[in-house]
Amino acid sequence: MRILIVEDDREAASYIRKGLRESGHVADHAADGEEGLEMARAADYDVLVVDRMMPKMDGLTMISTLRGEDDRTPVLVLSALGEVDHRVEGLKAGGDDYLVKPYAFAELLARVEALARRRDPETVRTKLVVGDLEMDLLARTVVRGEEEILLQPREFRLLEFLMKHSGQVVTRTMLLEKVWDYHFDPQTNVIDVHISRLRSKIDKPFPRSLLHTVRGAGYRLQA
Amino acid sequence: MSRGPAFLRTTTFRQTLLSAALFALSSFIILAFVYAASAGMTGRRADAAIEEELQTLEAQFQAGGIRSLNRYILQRTVGGGADYLYLLVHPTGRTLSGNLSVLPDVEPDEEGRLEFIYRRPRAIGTEETEKDDRAARGRLVELTSGYRLFVGLDVDEEYQLVSRMLSTILAASALALALGVAGGVFISRRFVARLDSINEVARTVRAGDLKRRAPRTHSGDELDELAENFNNMLDRVEALMHRMRQTGDSIAHDLRTPLTRMRNRLDEALREEGDLDAREQALERAVSDTDEILGIFNAILSLSRLESGESRKALVELDPAEIADDLAELYEPVCEDEGLAFDAEIERGLALRGDRGLLSQALANLLDNAVKYTPSGGAVTLRLRQTGEGLVEFSVTDTGPGIPDADRERVVQRFVRLDNSRSQPGSGLGLSLVKAIIDLHHGIFQIDEGPGVVEGQHGPGLRAAMVFPSLPRGSA
Repeated sequence: MRILIVEDDREAASYIRKGLRESGHVADHAADGEEGLEMARAADYDVLVVDRMMPKMDGLTMISTLRGEDDRTPVLVLSALGEVDHRVEGLKAGGDDYLVKPYAFAELLARVEALARRRDPETVRTKLVVGDLEMDLLARTVVRGEEEILLQPREFRLLEFLMKHSGQVVTRTMLLEKVWDYHFDPQTNVIDVHISRLRSKIDKPFPRSLLHTVRGAGYRLQA
Repeated sequence: MSRGPAFLRTTTFRQTLLSAALFALSSFIILAFVYAASAGMTGRRADAAIEEELQTLEAQFQAGGIRSLNRYILQRTVGGGADYLYLLVHPTGRTLSGNLSVLPDVEPDEEGRLEFIYRRPRAIGTEETEKDDRAARGRLVELTSGYRLFVGLDVDEEYQLVSRMLSTILAASALALALGVAGGVFISRRFVARLDSINEVARTVRAGDLKRRAPRTHSGDELDELAENFNNMLDRVEALMHRMRQTGDSIAHDLRTPLTRMRNRLDEALREEGDLDAREQALERAVSDTDEILGIFNAILSLSRLESGESRKALVELDPAEIADDLAELYEPVCEDEGLAFDAEIERGLALRGDRGLLSQALANLLDNAVKYTPSGGAVTLRLRQTGEGLVEFSVTDTGPGIPDADRERVVQRFVRLDNSRSQPGSGLGLSLVKAIIDLHHGIFQIDEGPGVVEGQHGPGLRAAMVFPSLPRGSA
């Protein structure tokens, strides 16, 4: 994937860049909003990672300018401002996801990869398939092999999110945000508990595991 | 640059001056009116008396001709004690009778009325003085056959009374103005003095003495109210400063521990040159220490924002049962994993005004605490119900050790961690955050005992409740 990092803090930028390269992506860097805008116009990027507060042109202005030019490249907004209203501002300006500083690199990587996936033409999918696990979004049923698996509504949404991002790492924070719509960190390991419940339904009775724990990052559903 | 004494510039002085001037002017106008009315009345009364006498004399003339009239006038004026002034003049200009020697040298108006000064005849042997010039008014009429008759009245005393009145009025107005100015000076100087004392306090406080307060008179007037408000503001500022210092100290204390630990780990990792495994382990733990520190930072930030009211949330009407359902669903498996029985009693059809994210966060915090402190085998209950008229209560009850009565007030303060919780992870900010969220929703926080000692448990349990004002039932 080709990723543009627009971040005025050089140290932070080189940290992200190095991490992305190690994960097999191509990463460019722009040091302010104006430069970022030019580079984003000049080349075709898969994802933009944009810092919110920058000299010359701030991140949100840059994003809304791009959106005004009908550039739909997915954008991950980075910001030290973490209140819900700040998030809403970021998404309103045209950002696709919002990550509050400081963050773990694993979190950033997971979100960037999830965003790149979103770029695929949005066909209305009625069926998700990972290995021998199948989810029918219309009938709201889940089948693995020959066996139907009964899930609670929230378990269904959790599995749906994992299947839509199959092959990618999803972090606990991402799950809390996207599946439960909570923007705070509980002290207890609530997500782990729910994952382990889901795992006991979709994995335990079967010889091969699909839902993997990625140490220090989160989970990945993969055949 | 000198602008004169301070009191001269005050609004009070200007206003007092203005009202004094207005008062002096209006009393002058009233008195001038009284003057005009009484002066006019004096004239009219004299004129009426003159008219009456004239009619008597004219009747005399009609009845007995000029001789009879002449005799009548002579009778009246003999001996000098007459009330009226008379003069009967022959067509040739010769005086026939009367107590005036000549016609006054004043042109009469078309009705024959005239006002003049005459010299009062003196008793023989007395000195003539200025005082003998006296004011009089009268009327000159033409009788048939060219005789002219004048009848007048001495109005000197009345005129003098009126003129004394006029000078009194002028003097009174001048006095009113002078008193007004003096009053203005006095009042505004007092005003300035009291304001100065408040300004002086403001200057001392600005210079760093936060303990100074403006003097109070307790009279309840506006300046006293200003002083009171000013003092209340200073109290608040002082409390905030105090809290800030305290928070600073607590931050320093609470962050120093994990920071020191992290520093030591990194230091150790540096020295573990050969042992890569140990090095990696130390680094991993250093990262998790950093996360802990960041967690504390984030909690401090959210708390400060909530408490300062900086991020005033738009509170919307919502269904509390949805919040409770979602959290019950989130925490039930957690309780189960910890060996705790979980129960949710959620009343339907309630409504309140709030922020879903914040209320969920507060409730999650209480549930986290219940899970953390309740020993395995215990029970956790999440309850939503209406308590009394217009109140909605979320509560979390556990069978853990509870919080001693004496500490219940304290636990909501920042960074307060009871001794038995020091070993647990946490920032000591959780309940402060809950309290701040409740305050933002105009609710109250209650901490009391749980269900009592349950078999196999070690304390009376804990019930933490958030009580909010509700909206009318079923409107959500």
